[in-house]
Amino acid sequence: MSEKDKEQLKKEAAEKARAAAQRKREEREKKKEKSNDSASEMPQTTEDVTSNQDLEKQKAAAAAKAKAAALAKKKAKEAEGTETEPTANQDLEKQKAIAIAKAKAAAAAKRKAKNANENGDSEKAKAIAAAKAKAAAAAKAKGKITQAKETEVSEPITPSPQQPILDRYLNIVKEHYKDDILEDSYINRMSKHVPTIVVKLEHYYSLALLFKQHSGLHFEFLSELHGTDFETYMEIYVHLYSFKNKQSVALKVKMDRENPRVDSIASIWPGANWPECEAYDLLGIQFTNHPDLHRIMLGEDWVGHPLRKDYEPYDVEV
Amino acid sequence: MIRTEEMLLNVGPQHPSTHGVFRLVIKIDGEMIIDAKPVIGYLHRGTEKIAENLQYTQIIPYTDRLDYLAAMTNNYVLCHAVETMMELEIPERAEYLRIITMELGRIASHLVWWGTYLLDLGATSPFLYAFREREMIINLLNEISGGRLTFNYMRVGGVKWDAPDGWIEKVKAFIPYMREQLAGYGDLVTGNEIFLNRVKGIGQYTKEEAMDYSLSGANLRCTGLAWDLRKNEPYSIYDRFSFEICTADTGDAWGRYQVRIQEIEQSLRILEQAVEQFPETGEVMGKVPKVIKPPKGETFVRIESPRGEIGCYIASEGKKEPYRLKFRRPSFYNLQILPKLLVGQNMANLIAILGAIDIVLGEVDG
Amino acid sequence: MFGLAKGLKYTLKNMTRKKLTYDYPNEPLPLPDRFRGIQKFYPEKCIVCNQCANICPTDCITLTGKKHPDSSKRGKIIDTYDINFEICILCDLCTEVCPTEAIIMTNQFELAEYSRDELFKDLVWLDENDTQLRRENKA
Ligand code: SF4
Ligand code: SF4
Repeated sequence: MSEKDKEQLKKEAAEKARAAAQRKREEREKKKEKSNDSASEMPQTTEDVTSNQDLEKQKAAAAAKAKAAALAKKKAKEAEGTETEPTANQDLEKQKAIAIAKAKAAAAAKRKAKNANENGDSEKAKAIAAAKAKAAAAAKAKGKITQAKETEVSEPITPSPQQPILDRYLNIVKEHYKDDILEDSYINRMSKHVPTIVVKLEHYYSLALLFKQHSGLHFEFLSELHGTDFETYMEIYVHLYSFKNKQSVALKVKMDRENPRVDSIASIWPGANWPECEAYDLLGIQFTNHPDLHRIMLGEDWVGHPLRKDYEPYDVEV
Repeated sequence: MIRTEEMLLNVGPQHPSTHGVFRLVIKIDGEMIIDAKPVIGYLHRGTEKIAENLQYTQIIPYTDRLDYLAAMTNNYVLCHAVETMMELEIPERAEYLRIITMELGRIASHLVWWGTYLLDLGATSPFLYAFREREMIINLLNEISGGRLTFNYMRVGGVKWDAPDGWIEKVKAFIPYMREQLAGYGDLVTGNEIFLNRVKGIGQYTKEEAMDYSLSGANLRCTGLAWDLRKNEPYSIYDRFSFEICTADTGDAWGRYQVRIQEIEQSLRILEQAVEQFPETGEVMGKVPKVIKPPKGETFVRIESPRGEIGCYIASEGKKEPYRLKFRRPSFYNLQILPKLLVGQNMANLIAILGAIDIVLGEVDG
Repeated sequence: MFGLAKGLKYTLKNMTRKKLTYDYPNEPLPLPDRFRGIQKFYPEKCIVCNQCANICPTDCITLTGKKHPDSSKRGKIIDTYDINFEICILCDLCTEVCPTEAIIMTNQFELAEYSRDELFKDLVWLDENDTQLRRENKA
């Protein structure tokens, strides 16, 4: 169909519509004439028409507003994105400086106020009352502190029910290694009292092997393996369980953040295969001797490792 | 023997039997699978990264979207982790509501598995029956939480809503009904010779292999190891109920089928006791600080979800948001064994093996 | 063969059961009161406390307030209030924190539109969305 034809059609359609409207109008008028009290009906219909128009207008306006708001939002975001980055540090420093200044000023003001209080006769009573209140508060606070201290003190006294188990683990480890291969070992009370062992990086694999093969440990089930970026170092957290001894252990190993590299334990527990891929994908930790290290979630062409704390989203299309 | 040429075959990611977006690249020699490589990540939404910028309450709706067939257990594992860190007391009534909703969710999840697995194997009607019963559970959960799949029901320290009037009675009435249907399922499928031939001896592995591959849930119990965290490391108030750990000793798809069907029965048993003991009155929200800030430190808790062992690791800096949040997602671990099971199998068994593992892709991809 | 016969018996038994399906688009779906649907907003109740926008896990609420026109009164009144239903997950957290119940859930869930722009709902739309309101809004 050519342009002209289209236009023709359009015109025709428009004329038809106009004609239809005309007809309708005529009909309506006829009806009105028929009805006796046309006077009362007239204003009503006009009102209807106008209210309809109004509504439509309002809707249009609202839609326009909404769109404008969305646009403004986008702009604001963009502006933020470009501006804050370079100035963020400066701003922070400024804010800090301001905060310090403020704090100093406040302290000075307080001191002054105190002095004034002591001098002023009329305000003595008030000051005394305030002092009393303060003293009471202080006493309370002290009480709390001592309480807290007491609990703090009392906690280590009640040894964790898991302590002997941890000691047993440590003894076995000591039997097998001459030097100290552990960085740390403790009971993680927050994690249902799980014995936690932090091993030195170079002994991670051999200790894992010992954990699986030693009959007194026999951790045949790897429950969880994941990495965490602690900003100064990377960490692998492994949760092991022994069905035979009904005991669990959390094994941790820390590594350099810039070039995180650790032995893979997928040859000991095949179940560690995918979790290690996940840690590689999301944190960039390299696992040596891994059977098939690939970016399991994001795909090989993804730029960056999202779970690292310094990750910058990169997207060519944005 | 006739030698055929090797062929690379792509299954998915939009294949109906993968129950989500899951791709499997298999190498076949005639009808035999000689290599298989699962490709996942199509549904990866970065929940763990998103969570690092959210307060704990805000993370709960995100957990709904991991294992979307049993969102209650996901809700619970996050709340349980935070509660463990903060050593919070949970009111009795809230604990019962949690158990009831979680067990209802477990039944619903197993029903979906049962229906879709048989659908994969070529039987259409069990699917319709299973979804009929599941719809009743969904309606019950909808009534108490306001959502059909994404419940967002649990909160740190309790649950959001108390049970509406008459809800407990409805659950009570559902239990015998479900029992009756379960017996019917047995008649319909469990004795069916065609079905038995299809699943017996398929996708078999030993107990040691299951442990090595970190399998959990029915995938582990089907090898004869009685391991259920509800019983072995009781959390919440599971130690108050008597129920059995369901096991099978075949280690194949048939064993997994039996375990899941029996688990529905055990869940009904727990439900029965829970509604019986349900406290008349009481709070559903414990004493929780207005802003939830777990102390500095880390925790790892694990509980039993319908698919296996779901865990939650939180590293906290004492802030409103977690420093690092990590879910141990059972489907992700369970799926690892798939290539091993497929190699050397007939093509026709692919779906029967994959289906028996019972994965939810939302959980695999995180 | 016996197994097949048993299965057939169950199937036959189910033939006589009541129908359980809904005639959905022709009849509204029966939903419980707590069902979480599209929000209704009461501009006059809102105290512009910003709690809903802060708790929203997907950041889909944007609101601005203005000074109370009656200068004798303190506080603010709402000026614009938008929810972007492209990303709202209907999680119920905004209605949970609102101290005045200015925003509540309804039982409506039909949000299908032909264009994404239509999913951007503003104050007027949310105010007019006043059917099937939820009765129980605070736990
Ligand atoms: S329902 Fe949830 S996602 Fe939607 S606006 Fe409210 S808080 Fe935000
Ligand atoms: S929480 Fe309620 S009162 Fe506060 S800004 Fe939101 S809608 Fe208004």
